[in-house]
Amino acid sequence: MSVAVEVENLVKVYRGGVRAVDGISFSIGEREIFGFLGPNGAGKSTTIKCVIGLLKPTSGHIRVLGTDVRHDPGAVKRSIGYAAQETAVDDRLTGWENLYLQGRFYHLSRGEIRRRGEEVLKLFGLWERRNDTADTYSGGMLKRLDIACALIHRPRILFLDEPTLGLDVQTRKTIWEYIEKLRAEHEMTIFLTTHYMEEADALSDRVAIIDRGRIVALDRPGALKAAIGGDLITVRFSDAGADLEPLLVSLRGLDGVREVRETSDGVHRIVVERDGDRLIPRIVRLAEEHGVGIHSIRLKRPTLDDVYLHYTGREIREAGGSREELIRTRVMSRRIRR
Amino acid sequence: MTFLSDVWYVAWRELIKFFRSKVRVVVTLVQPLLWLGLMGNVLQGFAKAPYVQQMLGTQSYLAFMTPGIILMTVLFGGVFSGISIIWDRRIGYLEKMMAAPISRGAIPLGKMLAAAIQGGIQVLIIVFIATGLGVRFATGPAGILLIVLIAMVFSTILSGFSLSVAVTVKTQETLMALVNFLTMPLMFTSNALFPRAAMPAWLAAIAKVNPVSHAVAPIRELTLYGWNWGAMYTGIAVTVGLALAMALFAQWMFHRATVE
Ligand SMILES: Nc1ncnc2c1ncn2[C@@H]1O[C@H](COP(=O)(O)OP(=O)(O)OP(=O)(O)O)[C@@H](O)[C@H]1O
Ligand SMILES: [Mg+2]
Repeated sequence: MSVAVEVENLVKVYRGGVRAVDGISFSIGEREIFGFLGPNGAGKSTTIKCVIGLLKPTSGHIRVLGTDVRHDPGAVKRSIGYAAQETAVDDRLTGWENLYLQGRFYHLSRGEIRRRGEEVLKLFGLWERRNDTADTYSGGMLKRLDIACALIHRPRILFLDEPTLGLDVQTRKTIWEYIEKLRAEHEMTIFLTTHYMEEADALSDRVAIIDRGRIVALDRPGALKAAIGGDLITVRFSDAGADLEPLLVSLRGLDGVREVRETSDGVHRIVVERDGDRLIPRIVRLAEEHGVGIHSIRLKRPTLDDVYLHYTGREIREAGGSREELIRTRVMSRRIRR
Repeated sequence: MTFLSDVWYVAWRELIKFFRSKVRVVVTLVQPLLWLGLMGNVLQGFAKAPYVQQMLGTQSYLAFMTPGIILMTVLFGGVFSGISIIWDRRIGYLEKMMAAPISRGAIPLGKMLAAAIQGGIQVLIIVFIATGLGVRFATGPAGILLIVLIAMVFSTILSGFSLSVAVTVKTQETLMALVNFLTMPLMFTSNALFPRAAMPAWLAAIAKVNPVSHAVAPIRELTLYGWNWGAMYTGIAVTVGLALAMALFAQWMFHRATVE
């Protein structure tokens, strides 16, 4: 697998002294989906902007498909697509006009734009609405149009900065499907940032956890989750008097179960490597086979909180005062509670 | 020639949005009508006096002020360039354009081109209305074409200025305040609407160096008298020179403001 993006000791200090990125190194293989996971202000957007040549790094080296961004920004820009964190669609233009303009900015011919434009708009389910001005689009449609624009020139690497921010679960899932399709059908390398553990988990081959401008962990999502403890299944058996030992032995023998322990109140905690939800039916079946009734069963998956707690030793930092951040925190806390 | 293509598509976007905004199109049509119809008629009375006619250099105040209204219209139109770039920065479109492989310089130039084309269209409308109100353009269609060109070049001075301010101040309110602070006095210390001969000495001195006066001279020559290159070339040279300087300045300001 050849290397698509290579970043070495990237440092970015903004004018005014904010050290947004503080010595980051990583590399992304071609056809890989690479996730950047981190809280507000961690330096995710700053890193992306340095890699695609929108910001000048304070120090460090960046190569995209073997080309140094500082030496030939034009070549780098032509081979990548970028959808920013804030959806950048001109809402006085129609969906098609937005796309057409983007194609022209990448110096495509009219015919190429027509062909590819139709292809991406159909892929993103916007073809029927292409002649409506974008101010009639929903938030999810705008985000899709924005990503579609980033694809018009068939980039080899796609940079998505929080592609599902502020979208409902349904739309988020749809976008995940598109992203996976892009990789499968168009052999694209994808770099995405998110602060949803679930998103990084579902999509990425590898995830880097970034906090305060530094990468604190980088691995496959499964390995990261395993390291923070895996899924936790809590079972309360209805008949506490029955002999549970044979059942517990069978439970310990289940594939993926790491530990079964009785807590003081007669409840059993089962720590599993991953996919706790798939284990639940098997646990129920085993209990039936052993003639033990189940009163209740609960699954707790590692959350963003757990990951940060583990890798940074503290909870996700308090969000700042902006409206945007407030919404994000609310969305996040809703997820965590669930 | 990707640079020219970049400039054109930056302008194309502005023009589409201009024609899509019905209010802006209507204002564009009605404004010169108001200026010419109202002001031209109200002040026509003065032009009956022979000494006023001597100061104006023509018997029709309307014909005298038409070149002034032409410049005033493109002058006020230029401010939109700055607003649009502030808006682009806000909605992230500026960043989107800069993430694409277009030449950075194409962005301010495209906006200036859009302002110039809008200005050119407005000038044609003014010429049309003025003709309807009885103004006869001494140099005919060829002269009118040159008038439109001079006005378009002149509009670059203002759009370049508003762009340069916009990338620095970054808010629409400050931009409007600053640009209006400059355009109004610029207009009224020139001989665009009133002849220099009628001004007090100090004002006449300002009017003599005012760029609006320089631009108005060839347009007035073409409107009232004819092809007297001798009376036009200074004005044309000054206007073209200022426009070039302003275009370069806007480019420089834009580069400075977008490199981080
Ligand atoms: N243009 C700027 N000038 C100065 N400081 C900046 C600028 N942009 C970002 N920062 C600062 O750099 C740090 C990292 O910001 P960045 O936008 O990269 O974070 P992020 O990980 O993308 O966060 P979020 O999840 O909120 O998008 C923050 O402390 C931020 O305040
Ligand atoms: Mg960000």
